[in-house]
Amino acid sequence: MNKQAVKKAKKIAQFAGFGLPATFIWVTVVILPFIYGIWITLTDWNGLALDIHYVGFANYKSVFTDPTFLSSFVKTVIYAAFTVAASNIIGFLLALAVTGGIKGQGLFRAGFFTPNIIGGIILGYIWNFIFSYAITGFGKAIGVEWMSTSWLTHPTRALIALILVSSWQMSGYLMVIYIAGLTNVPAELIEAAKVDGATGWQAVQKVKIPCIRNTIAICVFLSISRTFMSFDMNLSLTAGGPYKSTELIAYKIYQTAFTSMEFGKGQAQAIVLFVIVAVISLLQVYFTRKGAENT
Amino acid sequence: MKKRLFSGLLIAAMVSVLFAGCGSKPDSTQGGGTEGGGSEPVEISFYTTETGKDDYFQDLIRDFESKNEGITVEYIAAGDDQLQAWMALYSSNEGPTVSLMDPINIYENQERMLDLTGQAMLDNVKEESLSTLTFDGKVYGVPMSAAGIGILYNKAVCDAAVGGDFDPSTIKTRSDLQALFEKIEATGAAGTCITGVNWSIGSHYLCQTYGAAIGSVEERVAYVNSIIAGEKKEIDNDVFNGYMETFDLLARYNINKADPLVGDVNVDAAALAAGECGTWLMGDWAWTYLAALVDENAEFGLLPIPHSDDESDIVNQSISTSYAKGYCIDTSQNTEAQQAAGLKFIEYMSSDSYAQEQTAIVCGQALPFKNFAFGDKLSPLGQSTAEYMAAGLATDFYGTPNLYPSDIWYECGAYMCEYLSGACDRETLASKIDGYWGNQEAR
Repeated sequence: MNKQAVKKAKKIAQFAGFGLPATFIWVTVVILPFIYGIWITLTDWNGLALDIHYVGFANYKSVFTDPTFLSSFVKTVIYAAFTVAASNIIGFLLALAVTGGIKGQGLFRAGFFTPNIIGGIILGYIWNFIFSYAITGFGKAIGVEWMSTSWLTHPTRALIALILVSSWQMSGYLMVIYIAGLTNVPAELIEAAKVDGATGWQAVQKVKIPCIRNTIAICVFLSISRTFMSFDMNLSLTAGGPYKSTELIAYKIYQTAFTSMEFGKGQAQAIVLFVIVAVISLLQVYFTRKGAENT
Repeated sequence: MKKRLFSGLLIAAMVSVLFAGCGSKPDSTQGGGTEGGGSEPVEISFYTTETGKDDYFQDLIRDFESKNEGITVEYIAAGDDQLQAWMALYSSNEGPTVSLMDPINIYENQERMLDLTGQAMLDNVKEESLSTLTFDGKVYGVPMSAAGIGILYNKAVCDAAVGGDFDPSTIKTRSDLQALFEKIEATGAAGTCITGVNWSIGSHYLCQTYGAAIGSVEERVAYVNSIIAGEKKEIDNDVFNGYMETFDLLARYNINKADPLVGDVNVDAAALAAGECGTWLMGDWAWTYLAALVDENAEFGLLPIPHSDDESDIVNQSISTSYAKGYCIDTSQNTEAQQAAGLKFIEYMSSDSYAQEQTAIVCGQALPFKNFAFGDKLSPLGQSTAEYMAAGLATDFYGTPNLYPSDIWYECGAYMCEYLSGACDRETLASKIDGYWGNQEAR
């Protein structure tokens, strides 16, 4: 056996040892179910039936002609737009506050991050109680009419409640990423700005924000993809209500597949969501790279 | 060299463990091929969508195992995701031997289910309760219990309202119901309570409009098919309008009318128990919520939901009984021995004395079994349902297993919630319901 063959065999053995298990898991857990999922979109399967019929692209056609799916899509865009803006602004401001050298900033960081650890389902139920009973109880006690009825029983207020709670939860997570970005801003740049007479806000505006452009891109696109896939909070806080007015895409997919037992159609909706999130992720990669090239 | 050898061995071990983990599962169907379970040990699984009753089911499983040596039962309880969990079990080739499911779920998957027609245990089941679980003349399930749907009343509040002993049989028309609400309101309590949730008003209430007031089961199916075909409109149907008139009446005297969609069963149960409202649109399963809140001697019962002012209409004096859960046996992923053991399990649940007693005590609902002798152990609401059934004043909520689609509670429930909140009028509601049915296949 010549040296090259030995080298090649060694490389194959190394791949088999280190790369193959991961590749095997990735293929079996991600790729095969994905292909299987695409196949399901071409069938009328209800999730349990033994007989599966091929229906071509009928499920995709019904997705794009279903007004309830389009309505869910619009609601998701509104929800995502406000949640992304609010959580990024709050996350950035919190990061600024806890990197400014204030006393007990470690405690504040942990405190602001905590909602992200608790999990959407639990948070949803807690806030459900707050919106339905705590705020209404307080409103009735002080005689304020708009606080005397639950936020979750009015379509607009329920969507606002969903945006508020999601922003509150996500801002702590984004704060951590912003902290990582802000602590990497060279101290000498900020010092130089201050020597030149820049105010605190000017230093943030002219030095810190340009330096963390990549971090901002990551946070914005990360929050967009997360809001488009939001499910747990939607389930436990509003359950799509009142009367399906807060039914976001992921929740709609779940209902189509598991309540209406239209697995093929639900899976086709999921593929549409996948394409949306994939485009957002690719845009993130593009803008992050572009930002890196410009700095 | 030793290091390399060790690394190589480690990698080989990892890969083999990985492949072993991904390999096919060992055959867990012990005793496969033996008829009737015999002395061979058999493992079966039982999946229940009746939530919050884990101790009850596990107690009965222990008792069943002690009485059926060689059969062990794995208990699997669903959460809120009853269909999702069921699908997951089937997808992983672990379909439960016995499942306790809604009739529509059994119907839609009848090709997987064992035909129970002719089984001796069915002789003990009351014929009228099998209609919901019979498709094309074949019986695919055994009902768990009979659930009464109607308007619950707090007798103390109603006694105070009528100034004497309240007799529920005096409520025969919508006007009678309105008069009762007015009298209750005169005492300071709210006339009634609607829990503004989709499953209650979207399934239990709306489905009354396709119930016995339409006519026989065939007439009910024909009416639904005519809506599906677009030949008829809900808004032109007297039964639909009649029930919606009653719904409007309930909404007017609703304790939650200021915020009708808050929808909390526990809060509403507490309101009825405390006498803050005299009645509550719900069903006899609500005893689960009421039991811990009421005094020992407090009396509660069920009233029918009248759809008209015709006191000669027997439907106005009857409650709906729903055989909402049925035991079924899987044939697609379970061996014959497991199916035989599953039959024994269902037979135990439906006819064993201890099982019936525990079901009466824990679930509190009337049981549709001929040898049932624990009527005195039912909840007051269950006893009320049993009295209506004994008097022939109970109509079948389902009639046939596939009359109501599995998502009617969610889709039409949203429309009903919208209507209850005042966000749409009856014509809009009716047209949305027409639209929903228009997307369904003929029944």
